[in-house]
Amino acid sequence: MSAKSQTLEAGAAGHGAEPRGKRTEDGQATYLIAIAEALWEEMERDDRVYMLGEDIGVYGGAFKVTEGFIERFGAERVMDTPIAEETIVGMAIGSAMEGLRPVAEFQYADFMSSGFDEITTALARYHYRSGVPLPVVLRAPSGGMVRASSFHSINPEPWFAHAGGIKVMCPAFPSDAKGLLKSAIRDDNPCLFLEHKWIYRRVKEAVSEDPDFLVPIGAANVRREGDDVTIVTYGAMVHKALEAAQSLEEKGMSVEVVDLRTVYPLDEQTVLGSIEKTSRAIVLSESYRFVGIGAEVAATIAEKAFEHLDGPVVRLSPPNVPVPFSPTLEDAFLPQVSDIEQAVERLSAW
Amino acid sequence: VATKVKERKAERPLPDDDLRQVLYLLKLCRYFDERMEAFYRQGRLPGALYSGRGQEGTHVGVAYALRPDDSLFPTHRDLSAQLTKGLDLKRVMAQYWGRIDGYTRGRDGNSHIGDWQGNRTWTVMSHLPIAYPAACGAALAYKRAGDDRVAMGICGDGSTSNGRWHESLNVSAIFRLPVVWVVNNNQFAYSAPNELEFAVPTIAERASAYGMPGVRVDGANVLEVYAAAREAVDRARSGEGPTLIESVSLRWRGHAGHDPAKYVPQELLERYVAEEDPVKIFEELLLEWGTVNKEDVQELEERIERAFQEGHDFAQASPFPEPGDATKGLWVEDGYWASEPGRDGGTEAS
Repeated sequence: MSAKSQTLEAGAAGHGAEPRGKRTEDGQATYLIAIAEALWEEMERDDRVYMLGEDIGVYGGAFKVTEGFIERFGAERVMDTPIAEETIVGMAIGSAMEGLRPVAEFQYADFMSSGFDEITTALARYHYRSGVPLPVVLRAPSGGMVRASSFHSINPEPWFAHAGGIKVMCPAFPSDAKGLLKSAIRDDNPCLFLEHKWIYRRVKEAVSEDPDFLVPIGAANVRREGDDVTIVTYGAMVHKALEAAQSLEEKGMSVEVVDLRTVYPLDEQTVLGSIEKTSRAIVLSESYRFVGIGAEVAATIAEKAFEHLDGPVVRLSPPNVPVPFSPTLEDAFLPQVSDIEQAVERLSAW
Repeated sequence: VATKVKERKAERPLPDDDLRQVLYLLKLCRYFDERMEAFYRQGRLPGALYSGRGQEGTHVGVAYALRPDDSLFPTHRDLSAQLTKGLDLKRVMAQYWGRIDGYTRGRDGNSHIGDWQGNRTWTVMSHLPIAYPAACGAALAYKRAGDDRVAMGICGDGSTSNGRWHESLNVSAIFRLPVVWVVNNNQFAYSAPNELEFAVPTIAERASAYGMPGVRVDGANVLEVYAAAREAVDRARSGEGPTLIESVSLRWRGHAGHDPAKYVPQELLERYVAEEDPVKIFEELLLEWGTVNKEDVQELEERIERAFQEGHDFAQASPFPEPGDATKGLWVEDGYWASEPGRDGGTEAS
């Protein structure tokens, strides 16, 4: 049976159809489907692109992002691997050196620590010393808020942003996820694409169907304009910030929300431009407070926009403890909408 | 020694020109090793020095079995293999002295060297066996492209204790990758002897647990090493999958230049130097065969001395990197590696 006829048959059965067929009736895509569309389109566009990881083929991935891919693209390009994270990353590196464009999936971002050395030592540092491009994309579901506890909830972006040599993306919306992932696959450098698992099926929107729709890496986006306070954030916390901003608007406060989208390289210009306008900065992140992404953004603001500030740069981020399971504990651990509202109110009083 | 030569007398697996070239490489690598150690001890060589002395039979033997378009993934102790694969001695020496004409443009030193675009050698990293998974990836690319190229990974006995070693062998066997695994068993992992590294009699016998052939060869006999490597390369090339080669020798010097290696039993070292010297044994064999005569050997030694002197002079004349270039070359798009580097750093270290 040819791949084509398999696709059609499987599609009819609800499996193996291209991800776009899984949009809602009015054409909106969830974050998860938008990511699947990016992968599908880039696999179709460029034969050099292939995927490898655990349970991504026959099973369709732990979160079903790659459901139907093996029927369309075959087991060589949708490669199920043993549970061997160092070797998954290493294989991506070696095959990229020979001209392929691998997209490696981690089942959870937590398991990136099992491949840490190949990521931070080999992948991050190879090009600087050799001039050999490594067009490798690592995809990993990150973040909490789904009661998945210590080993299925982490936000590892500071580890890898700190490695130097890896671009790190944490999109919050389906369109940004699709456009950034397509940019990452076309980029000649190592890229880490963190997919927030809380967003996967919760957020949907109209997403471009243009096969060349791209979102630039390293560009933040002013998601909501405001005059009084800026919240700089990314990932799932963007949605918390927008909720807080909406609520505060009813109290007469005008909050600007800057969605970083890429945490490394950092779009300082957009961040600083917003602070110049509002003079008050809250940095909200789901990565740890101590030496987290928020700490870096706060330091950048303090250093480069000091003369524009009317008050201290405020950080809202979890304490450096393992992500706890029980709902009361996890909710206390993560910044909540009410925490954001209170922080905005306090800072506005300066 | 004479009886040793007789015992080791092998079939001539190579034409005379190749045998003479193998002798040249063995003696070049030995000469380089000894002269560089002298520079190091005199304080005239910056950075570290990792001697491969006593193991040249392994390095030259395995690398000589590769074609120019095959790839080599070595370690810091395998310079003899890298020179055999085609690295230019002048650029190697520029690397040792931190100069712009070194293969890493001064971004790394000593034998942390490679030339992927030139002769398909991986730029060495310290974390071992970090290149083993990457060798799997290169081999995967060859297999997918349907070409008959082969990847060879080299590591020491020390690396076989690391998880990545097992992951890589396992994965290479599962996917029948065209790869040759070489373990240079020089009997010590820094100060740890074999009995603290593994509880089985040999490393080679582990191969059966992964589903590949394993062979143990005498590192003092370059032709025995070459024959095993050639068979393994041919197997890989013809699609029959990976092979594990354990080549046994002794590390004659310390882990690095600073290490007097007093933990190596004196009588063991003396026996290896007297009876298991791969360079001396091969030279005597070729003299006995009449492949070379004494005048040929003398001429060859003079060629080596000239090559070393030329390399040394080239390195000293090569400028240091431009300091302002330290931040360039992280990303492909900054163009650093695609352009001529800044050469204004002068030839005197500040």
